[in-house]
Amino acid sequence: MAHTKLTDNIQFPDSANPSRIIIAIGVVGIIASLVGVVVNYEQFLHSYLTSFTFFISIALASLFLVMIHHITRSSWGTTLRRIPETFSSYIWVFAILFIPILLGMTTLYEWTGDLADRNVFYQELSEYKSPYLNITFFVIRNIIYFSIWAFLGYKLYKKSLDMDETGDWGIDTTLRKISAPGIFFFAFTVAFASFDWIMSLRFDWFSTMFGVYYFSMSFQMIFAVLILMALYLRGKGLLLNTIARPHISDLGAWLFAFTVFYAYIAFGQFFLIYYANIPEATLFYHYRLEGNWQYLFYAVIFGRFVIPFLVLLSKPAKRNYTVLRIMSVMIIASHVVELYWLIMPSMHATFSLHWLDVTTFLAFAGIFFGLFFFYFKQHSMVPKNDPKLVESLNKH
Amino acid sequence: MSSQVKEQESKVFALLAEYDNPAKLMKAAKLVNRAGYTKFDAHSPFPIHGMDDAMGLKESKLGWIVLSHALVGFAGGLALQVWASSIAYPINIGGRPFANIPAYVPVTFELTILLSAFAAVFGMLFLNNLPKHHHSLFNSENFQRVTDDKFFICIETEDGMYSEEETMKFLEGTGASHIEQVYE
Repeated sequence: MAHTKLTDNIQFPDSANPSRIIIAIGVVGIIASLVGVVVNYEQFLHSYLTSFTFFISIALASLFLVMIHHITRSSWGTTLRRIPETFSSYIWVFAILFIPILLGMTTLYEWTGDLADRNVFYQELSEYKSPYLNITFFVIRNIIYFSIWAFLGYKLYKKSLDMDETGDWGIDTTLRKISAPGIFFFAFTVAFASFDWIMSLRFDWFSTMFGVYYFSMSFQMIFAVLILMALYLRGKGLLLNTIARPHISDLGAWLFAFTVFYAYIAFGQFFLIYYANIPEATLFYHYRLEGNWQYLFYAVIFGRFVIPFLVLLSKPAKRNYTVLRIMSVMIIASHVVELYWLIMPSMHATFSLHWLDVTTFLAFAGIFFGLFFFYFKQHSMVPKNDPKLVESLNKH
Repeated sequence: MSSQVKEQESKVFALLAEYDNPAKLMKAAKLVNRAGYTKFDAHSPFPIHGMDDAMGLKESKLGWIVLSHALVGFAGGLALQVWASSIAYPINIGGRPFANIPAYVPVTFELTILLSAFAAVFGMLFLNNLPKHHHSLFNSENFQRVTDDKFFICIETEDGMYSEEETMKFLEGTGASHIEQVYE
């Protein structure tokens, strides 16, 4: 029953590689989205931002998970660490993918304009916020965010691969030394990035909780993504004894825990604004609880809190692959819907799905998962020389 | 010491087998479970992962106790507020609806958690037959090392399969370093 060493094949085989389908999806998505740039630029930018914030949240939450894993010297997830490591290793790609948003920011963000046609209140507010919300500083900030994330993600991945090669356990200390300050910088950059990307779509609204709100959404979803990845590998007959039931049921427990955390943060933000009832603060929710936008809101509440909470409450459910798979898909879908619900009302008064929402999503999916499998197949799927690997393999 | 206890002609409570390390204890627990004993327990200075499975313990009933109390707390908390500020004495707070569900969440949540926590603590004590003044195992001198560096399995005499000779022989075969009778 106990596995004291790796018994599985740790090389990702070509037969399990879905690259072709992913590349096909990605190419179709990219071409269709490029058409959208010409046809409806504003819609393209909003759809693009939604997909961008979704896929980078996978990478960022992975980065956080890897760092927290290192600094707490955890062993529960050592066998599956290579998956989030790979996700966060190519955040530099997102820096390039951010360029369309920078180019279109004058269309996307109202505060970039002079607001001459708006009333005095907005003009003065925009003036008041201009030391932070101006184009130059926005660009500089985003360069800082992406450099920090790209550095952390790549470094942690690279060092971990070095440990695979050399078997030098001293690298474990190095990883910890990178992660400790990394967490600190991560917290600030993610909070401010979410302010810049999503919150500043309406510059008259602010919530100091927004950073942690975006983080809690992302971090809940990352466990759903990891469960699906682990089950995908199992489905292909890979790592059956390495990422086994105890690891997956732990992911289920994390998923449950951060479902509650997400609900706490999301409700906290909503409740504070609801209770204080300050007009300019409540407007944000007012637009999103009006018309058919409210159905998305209820879908999110049930899709990523009420149903997963009730279903995952019991221990056997957290160990049941079918239940975990359904809940994971539902939570990931709700994450997309929630980002859509946060971003899109700044352009549309009522909810109606545009084809660009789908194509930009496919384009990003193609790029993101194409790169994932491109990197994943090159190295072993498990950090094979990690000092805590044996402990992780022996997990009950 | 033990001969003195014997002279008191007291009843044997259990056979206590001592093991040197957690791996041996785990293996022994599996054997005892497989042999069909039900009234036995394993004792260790620290929790051992996988011991529940090795001993063949059933899923604890505690979860259901906690859940039932949580539901009572949830319903009670909600009902209390709905009745007090929407039905019995409706208060207009900033023009919000009388049945103001978001505002009821914190108290409902707190009561749910409060009752669950009480249910978990007291339910655990109840299921463990605690608090207790004394336990017969403390009559054993060796057993004191269970808080330090020794691992034990005791099979109670009340177990249906218990017989003094065979159980003793059986425990000898499980790798015990020392076996003794513990008196009530």
